[in-house]
Amino acid sequence: MSSSTITPPAPAPAGSPGANAGAVDLEPSRSLLERVVRDAMRGTGARIGVAYIALLVLAAVFAPFLANSHPLLMKQAGAQGGAQTGAWSSPLLRHLTPADVVLLVMFFAVLGVALARRLSGAKRLLILAAVLAVSSPLAWWAVRPPAQVIYDKYRTGLADKSVEQAYFVPIAFSPDDRLRDQPDIRLGAPSAEHLMGTTNNGADLAANMIYASRIALSIGFIATGIAMVIGVVLGALMGYYSGWVDLLGMRLVEIFSAIPTLLLLLCFVAFFEPNLYIMMVILGVTGWTGDAVFVRAEFLRLREQDFVQAARACGIPLWSILFRHILPNGITPVLVNASFGVAGAILTESTLSFLGIGLVNDTSWGQLLNQALGSGGTFYWWIALYPGLAIFLTVFAYNLIGEALRDAFDPHAAKRGA
Amino acid sequence: MLNYIIRRILLMFPTLLGITLLVFMVMAYAPGGVGGPVLNEAGNMKSQEAQRLREYYNKRYGLDKPPIIQYARWINQILPIGFRKVDNNSISDFGFKWPDLGESLARHRPVTELVRESLPITVLLNAVCIPLVYAVGILSGLFAAQYRGKWFDVSSGFVFLALWSIPAIWAGVMLIGFLANRSYFNLFPTSGLHETMADQMLFLPSGWGPTFQRGWLLDTLWHLVLPLICLTYGGFAYLSKLVRGSVLDNLHADFVRTARAKGVAPRDILFRHVFRNSLLAFITVAAGIIPSLLGGSIVVESIFSIPGMGRLGVEAVQMRDRELVLAVTLVGGCIGLLCDILRDVWYALADPRVSYE
Repeated sequence: MSSSTITPPAPAPAGSPGANAGAVDLEPSRSLLERVVRDAMRGTGARIGVAYIALLVLAAVFAPFLANSHPLLMKQAGAQGGAQTGAWSSPLLRHLTPADVVLLVMFFAVLGVALARRLSGAKRLLILAAVLAVSSPLAWWAVRPPAQVIYDKYRTGLADKSVEQAYFVPIAFSPDDRLRDQPDIRLGAPSAEHLMGTTNNGADLAANMIYASRIALSIGFIATGIAMVIGVVLGALMGYYSGWVDLLGMRLVEIFSAIPTLLLLLCFVAFFEPNLYIMMVILGVTGWTGDAVFVRAEFLRLREQDFVQAARACGIPLWSILFRHILPNGITPVLVNASFGVAGAILTESTLSFLGIGLVNDTSWGQLLNQALGSGGTFYWWIALYPGLAIFLTVFAYNLIGEALRDAFDPHAAKRGA
Repeated sequence: MLNYIIRRILLMFPTLLGITLLVFMVMAYAPGGVGGPVLNEAGNMKSQEAQRLREYYNKRYGLDKPPIIQYARWINQILPIGFRKVDNNSISDFGFKWPDLGESLARHRPVTELVRESLPITVLLNAVCIPLVYAVGILSGLFAAQYRGKWFDVSSGFVFLALWSIPAIWAGVMLIGFLANRSYFNLFPTSGLHETMADQMLFLPSGWGPTFQRGWLLDTLWHLVLPLICLTYGGFAYLSKLVRGSVLDNLHADFVRTARAKGVAPRDILFRHVFRNSLLAFITVAAGIIPSLLGGSIVVESIFSIPGMGRLGVEAVQMRDRELVLAVTLVGGCIGLLCDILRDVWYALADPRVSYE
């Protein structure tokens, strides 16, 4: 009913999904979602979007190996002169945090599960959950990076020959390395050493950008996930029961959508100390209304159908009727719209951080962008250009994917494009 | 129809109650509580003075009472009918009174006055913005639909999706940085809505050559250019795609084929037959676009330091100024809900097939 107001309408896709409608009908074993995803991925736009997001995931997972002040390999000079040389060591590996390790483990687990064929979807999820459950406590117990970090000891060491050889990763600066040994490099324009310049506390901008991609990705996924769960549960209850439950639920939807979203978020964020996790929850708690309306409409349509009546007559428990019988028939529009939700969450987080109300301790793109306009009318173009570009490209990529998915899903759009 | 409108307006009240209750409770139960930064001033005072300040706030806002009672006090305060005298422990004198939005905790000024100052500015921004968005969006959407599959259609689809994805904060920072900066192009002012001396200007531009004065009107427009760019470009994309989709739906309808068969000029088909029938879709969005523009003006007003409702709201939240936050929420919520109702009524008026009976 109100699907039109939530996202912009679909334009005609370049590679038309309508043209292969005949081929789709020949494979009844595929689910609607699989079909939609496969059709969507035929377009150039969606492929570009997916490629960009994949690149971003790689940057987020391998961030410590892309930007780090600790050398990957280091050879210390011997204690007495140059006669005997010290041992090789790897300060980078030594300084990995538990989160870095869990991310790496999960990345390879996902890769392995995706490559292994003959696994059902449920089994794959189960394996991933098991890996996560085992690896995270283990990492927090076993991986203990030194609490005190002195970044400039490698640079001074190389200068005064106490470090004989050191091999650094491509960007030889950590995001919180404020280059205290080079105080005049603060707010420096891009140069050969700092490819994207430095921020106002002297840190390397490129390193910060790479680490901030973690925040953008995780905020997008988790906030949208929370919003989807709340929206699906409430929407399902509203649609299934209709009547006064529906009336109450729709008022709740109205309440949440009538307050300007940004103001509601500002309230939540300003009154609770913002950290990454609270931010995700807040974005989820305020963003579920669209999903709820979708799911409600689907449930209103499906509740009178024969298979639901039959399930009810069999005495199947309510949660099973709701979530195992009806939901799989009505979830696709919500999943198709999830891509737009992720884009929106990233945009909102960066806006809040830009306004100085979002994340404080973690670097995010929006927070970096905030530093671009200095006092007294100064303008640091590199701090404006690169973080802004990163936000834009990420949001654009998700929107491209979302639009391709919706074109593949919406038969009207497909017909128009054909 | 009237019945429907009345029912919708009556339903507005519980919704508004819910909105304010939600915001109120968030503030009341948040760590630090209401007016934190304001009460922090008490730290610099002598203990007796601080005590007196706290007592004053407790008396004025009932901050020592349970939140639900504080909320009831606030509701009583904003209603035109209620208890005229609310003391710390007793209420009396029930009857009609002036509704009162209270006094701002941080600025010590009546909230009604603050809202009356900033609302016109936001309305002005949006009043200039909406016609612009519509003109460009409808035209480009119509062209894209007419030349479907041609280069204009494909490129405008891609460009508009890209425009839609540009974060307003980035656009604002880049515009200020490059177009309002001494080191690049110093073409526009960076902030505000008027020059400092705008009060003494004539309304219209006057003079010629060296004696030229731009006047109040031109000065305002000059200040509005950058904020308007930030506020509008996202709307183009949204509307243009919508127009394109709904025009395409109608281009394939039977009545268009009939019109074409009897030899109606293509221009008339597009504007008089198709466009009229596509209006329905824009109307739905017309009312929906206003609340989203209000949301957008929060960002734009903050970047360009324009003293409108959005900036008022942001500053109120930052100062934890309870009365001001509630007032801004109330006004924003009212506008949003009224637009919803307006949209549904419009919808029924524009399309005889829609009925709410």
